[in-house]
Parts: sequence; structure tokens; C-alpha cells
Amino acid sequence: MSVDLAPELGTRVVPEVAAGQRSPRRLGLLTARPGLILALLFVGFVLVSAVVPGWFTRYDPNATAGPDKLLAPSAEHWFGTDELGRDLFSRVLHGSTLTIQATLGAIVIAVVVGLTLGVVSGFFGGWPDSVLMRVVDVLLAIPRLLLALTIVTALGFGTLPIAVAVGVGIVPGFARITRARVLSIKALPYIEAARTGGASWTRVLVRHILPNSWGPVLVLAVLDFGVAILAISALSFLGFGAAPPAAEWGTLISQGRSYLITSPWLTLLPGLFVGLTVFSLNHISRSLEELQR
Amino acid sequence: MRYRRPLLALTALATLAACGGGADAANDGDGGNPVKGGTLRIAFWDDAQGCIDPNQVYWIESRSLNRQFADSLTDQDPETGKIVPWLAESWEVNDDATSYTFKLRDDVTFSDGTKFDAAAVKTAYDATHALGAKSLLGLTYTAGYKSTEVVDDYTVKVDFDQPNSAFLQASSTTTLAILSPETYRQTPEERCTGDNLVGTGAFTLDSYTAATEAKLSRRDGYAWPSELIENQGDAYLDAIEVSYIKEDSVRVGSLTSGAIDIAWPRLPISEADQKVIEATGAGIESRSLPGISSSYFPNVGAGKPLADVKVRQALQKSIDRKSYASTVFWDGYPVVSGPFDNTTPYATDSSGVLAYDPEGAKALLDEAGWTAGADGYRAKDGEPLTLTIPAQNTTPGDQLVQDQLKQVGIKVELNVLTLAQYQAAAADGDYDLLATYYTRADPSVLGSVLDSGVSQAGTAQLSQDPATKKEISGLFAEGLQDVAEDKRAGTYADLQKLILEQGVMFPLYERVQTAGVASKVHGFAWTSEAFLRANDIWISQ
Repeated sequence: MSVDLAPELGTRVVPEVAAGQRSPRRLGLLTARPGLILALLFVGFVLVSAVVPGWFTRYDPNATAGPDKLLAPSAEHWFGTDELGRDLFSRVLHGSTLTIQATLGAIVIAVVVGLTLGVVSGFFGGWPDSVLMRVVDVLLAIPRLLLALTIVTALGFGTLPIAVAVGVGIVPGFARITRARVLSIKALPYIEAARTGGASWTRVLVRHILPNSWGPVLVLAVLDFGVAILAISALSFLGFGAAPPAAEWGTLISQGRSYLITSPWLTLLPGLFVGLTVFSLNHISRSLEELQR
Repeated sequence: MRYRRPLLALTALATLAACGGGADAANDGDGGNPVKGGTLRIAFWDDAQGCIDPNQVYWIESRSLNRQFADSLTDQDPETGKIVPWLAESWEVNDDATSYTFKLRDDVTFSDGTKFDAAAVKTAYDATHALGAKSLLGLTYTAGYKSTEVVDDYTVKVDFDQPNSAFLQASSTTTLAILSPETYRQTPEERCTGDNLVGTGAFTLDSYTAATEAKLSRRDGYAWPSELIENQGDAYLDAIEVSYIKEDSVRVGSLTSGAIDIAWPRLPISEADQKVIEATGAGIESRSLPGISSSYFPNVGAGKPLADVKVRQALQKSIDRKSYASTVFWDGYPVVSGPFDNTTPYATDSSGVLAYDPEGAKALLDEAGWTAGADGYRAKDGEPLTLTIPAQNTTPGDQLVQDQLKQVGIKVELNVLTLAQYQAAAADGDYDLLATYYTRADPSVLGSVLDSGVSQAGTAQLSQDPATKKEISGLFAEGLQDVAEDKRAGTYADLQKLILEQGVMFPLYERVQTAGVASKVHGFAWTSEAFLRANDIWISQ
């Protein structure tokens, strides 16, 4: 499960486009992209089901039913049942809640910390820049999964520690992107104009630089949403997730692996669900990036 | 339905209350005459203790290896629990079980050539007793040990300060196996590594790397097995190679692909995996492990919900053991019927006390003042009825119990911890229920978990109120004093009744040892304690 993407490569420079042409082109692109609509729908479904899983399933995710164990997928149980007779579809949806919570937590940490670091080092330059970027270099040098494992072992098991562990791992990417953006904007004529017009550095930072650095960070946030889901699933697969009986997606995949030969759906269907979610998110982020051009 | 056969056999044994399953059913008779040669490749699941010295080992899988290279004074019949001669030809026990005199065989040698005699037994027993707490099992096996006296070259007298009527059975275990006097010159830590462990067994230990591999090879000239073994001469196998495979599916896959000959997990092989194994023509062997059934032990400390005996009794009634056996394992899996697995001598059938009775449990909880709230969980004075169970990794079984207890309004928190945190929680009493078990074909084994007079473990010190502690310690002591069979049976029956009624332990499931055995392996046999007996095993070429 690779979580070491190099997000910087794809999104470095976003050429400026005349603002007036954008809106109609965006709509046209959306209708010309059925894949994007499907991806948006699926991610929407995952998000809604994470908030209110009860809308989509009537089964209690933790109610065991011995006689119904290891049933194959059917109209009654869409994803079949697990080794204790619990409805797997219900467990996947309720698992979404935890996984999405952890992912959002990780992304919020990464965006807030990454943006702050990036803006500070890009804007002020000099020794703060050197110090912060060397720290980022070190963080980038450590494999993310290892870093996350170390943090989660120190903090203990559970949803919040996982979010922190994964969040810390993706901070450097955000910091780098933001810094690059800030550096390029800082040199643009309108910043100079604002300064000449008497605006303070704080005002320039908040009114001009920050809003214009959002774009790539947003794309990266969507992309890293998928990366974070994978990382969180990896950690819960390894048993660092929420306390049982709650099950994150990775836990479900892990629990089913003893039955891979006889009841493959226990692992494959939650795995497919995670795969589709990440794929959709990647597709959305790629489309966002293209739309910005 | 072919895959059910050994399981049915097992159920039948349970019904007969026999200590059954000694000889192999699936592979006997159809293989022709035994042939010499070949290497038996076994895969265990893990080796957490990382020690191979029989006197110190408590790890079940390591004891299976110990049995191959180290012999004991006596042997125990898996069918009847009877003690039979092995390295000792005969023995006498005095009336109050404080003195055992063994007459030894005079034709036995250790694999380093040293003669096996009374002095060797004395060295071994003294050294084992000297291990103290280093040997969790030896501590209770040699409880009250005073000294061993060499009467003549082939007679030893083992004396005790206080009665120990379980010692005869103890003398048949791997824990009290006799190693060469030379071996005991090493420190206990050196012995653990297995570099120079010399026994009188049918195999010799060539190498052992903790949790990685072990290699044993046949000892030529072996001629002193007990009468329980068919093959009275050299073992048939050239060698035994052991590996450790943690992942169930990989172990099963290794067996079905022919990379190993015996797959030997700790938890029973799942029904699904049994189907996979049987489809390749391999067989499943099984035997209930004698000793303590897999159970939870409470913490009855002040302020804990389980301090109230009514709550403990309610808990006893809230666990649906039948459904546990059929869900976590399979239909027809033996349902636990008391503090001991059914192959343990003197185990009584307490199914009545352990019956699932959620209504009775709810009534008891109401009486104790725990009333049901809106969320289905019970509470008293605003405090929710929550039981914390620490675990290193949770099994489906834990989650099943969690759901069963939810039905009566008890909230179970499964606290997943790292090994270090787990050990700390267990030592500090930072739990409500703690799971444990031990394997020994004698009921006195429960003393190492529950007898507060003998054991300092949390399960002994925290599981009983002072009055019950005294009563239970008394019964354990009495059990070790009784020499007469029926008197001992009576004492242990009282003990089991008291334990269950007072809610000092909550049996969960019967422990069954299963092994997936390739079709080319013949003569598979269990020892009384459900360890491997390899003397009769041969591999068709």
C-alpha cells in the first residue's frame, strides 16, 4: 500500500488564465466528463453515509447472529455477513464514519500546519525559511508509514492518534507547495503595487498572497484525502484502529483475510469500497487541477 | 460432510466423559507398514516465550518439542489419565503424599552418553525446584518440595514439606523432564537457548532459534519408551524441522501446498480452513487440552462493579457458551462445562451453573441496583456498568461476548494494548476481567491462577474477597493432601462448585488443540496433555 506519492510534481505551476473565460468552460467540462460526475456521486455517497449510515442500512453493525455467519452477498445482505453473522455492508458504512473522521482530522492538521509553515517560510524567507525547510526535508526523508507507525505507537491506539499520525506525515507536502506558491506570487507586480500603495505586509499577506495560494493546496488536499484514507486503512489493518467492535475499513479488510479462500467477499468488498473511494478522489483532484488551467 | 468426522469423534468422547483421542483416527491402518526415514516439517503459530528448556517452558508449542527430546519418570495415558511407568519402573507414595520413592530403569542413557541414574534425577529435580518463579509451572508442580534423596544407584526418594498428591502426575510432565547432569551446569538463561540441552528422548535437539526454527534428529539406540507407545525402538523419522508461521492462511496454505506436513495453530483451525485442508486429502486431528478452560478472571477490588457477587453471578448467566462454541468455532464443537476442559481428571460437569439465562441475569442486576438506561446499558448512581477487558489483539470471540453482554445491559470495553501495556495492566489490576488459561492434566493447575496462598498473580490476589480466598486456598491445599482418588475427586468437585457460584472465574470456551496433518503422515499421536508424540510417526515415501 504505497502512500508515498510525490504530489509536488503534478501541481507545481498553475498558469494564470483570464478570469472571464472560466465559468462556461467549467460547466462544459463537467458535462463532458461523466467519469467526474460518477466520482463526485460516489464520494458524495460515502460522505453522506459516513454522517448518517442509518439512511442506507437497517442493520446494527455490531449485532451478532451466530447462525447467519459467513453468508455470501445477497439481496438481504449486500456485502454478505462476517464470521459473527454481522452485516458487512452495515459495518462498511459505519466504518466510513470512523475512517472519514480520521481522514478529515488528518487533512485538517496537514492543511493548517502545512499552510502556516509554507506561508511563513515563503513569505519571510531568510533563516526561518532555511530552518523550516530543513525540518520538512527530514520529515520527507522518513517513509510516511514508518513515521505514522512510530507516532501511533507513542500516542496509543484509536481514531484520534491515527489522525495525528497520518496528518503529521502529509504536512511536508503542503508546506512545500504553499511555499513555492507564495514565493512565485510574492514577486508578481500586483504585490509590488499593493506595497507601493501603502498596504502593510500583514494586509498583503492576508488579502493577496493567501487567497492566491489556495488553488494548488485545495487540489492537493483532495488528492491527499485519498492518500490519507489509504494510510489510515493501513494503520487500522495493522490493528492500531478504533477499539472493537467498531471497525474502520482497514480493520474489516484485516479481519476477513483468514477467510480469503473460502469467503473472499469479507476482504474484497471492503477493499473494493476503499479502492473506489480513493480512485474517485484522485479523479476529482486531477479534474480540479485541469479545470484550474 | 467428510470434514466433520474428527469433530464428531470428539463430541462423542465428550459425551462419554472419556479422556479420549489418544491414538490417531484418520491416518491409522490405511498406510501399511511403517517405514524409516524422512523429515517431518511442523509449523507452529508463534513462540512468545522464546525458551526451549523443558523445566522452564510454559509455552504449549515448545512443550510439544520438549516431549521429543526429554523423557520423564512416568507417562500419562491420554485415554484414562492413569500414570504408567517410563524412566521409573515402579513407585511408592506414602499415605499423606509427602514422600515418593521411584525405582528407575537401569538401561537408560542420555544422548551425550552419560548414564541415567538416581543422581541424575536428583540433579534435575533440585535444579528445577531452584528455578523458582523462572518456571511458572514448576513452581506449583514442585510445591512443598524438600529434597530428593539418592537411596541407591537406581532408587530416588522425593520428599515434601507438605502434601503434594499431584506430584505423581507432575512427574509425567515435560516440566519435570530429566536432563543430563551436564546440562544443569549451565545457567537457566543458557539452558533456554537450547544450545546444550541433553535428554534421554527418541530425538535430540540439534538447534533452536527462538520464534524462528528448531531442528531435531533421531537418536539411534532408543529403547525405553513408555508402554503407551507402539514403536518400542528407534523413532521412524530421520528428523523434525519446526518453523513458526503467524498468519493462519499462510500456515494452512503451506500445508495444502505440501511445504509443511503438520500445521499446528493455538486456536482451533477454523471450519473454513478445515474444509480447505480436507479437500487436499489431509486430515484434522483434535483433542481437548487438559487444564483450565479458556476463561475470564474478575477483579473484585473495591469500587469495581464485579465487587458485587450478584453482578458476578449475573455475568456468569449472561454468556451464551453454546452459541460461542458454534459461532466462533463450529457446530458440534464441545461446549465448555466447567472451570476445566473435559480431558482434565476430576473435571465436573457444571453446565447447569453455566447455562445461558439472560432473564435471570437481568433480575440479578436489577436486585444489585443496576438499572437499564435509555441506551440499553445499565447504570447505578449515574455510573455506567462498564467492564474493561485488556487484550493484545481482539478475536471475534471477544466481540461476540461483548455483544452477548450488551443484551443484558453490560458494556464491555475491549482495551487493545501493546504487550508491555498489557503486562502492566494485568499486574496493576487495571482491568475488570482478564483472560488466561494453563495446560496440565491435573486440576491442581488452577492453583497457579487462583490460589492466593501460592500465587502472587493478579488473577489470584484480585479475583476473590477475603472469605472466599481463604476457602479456595483451603480447598486447593486439601486437594494436594488427598491421596485417595474419591476423596480428591470430592474436594475438587467442591472447589469447582464454589468457584463458579462465587463468580471467581467465567469459563468461555473449551480449548481444543487441532492439527492439520498431511495424508502422507501416519501414526500421529497425542500425549495426555495434548502435545505431540512423534515416536510412532512415519512418512510414506
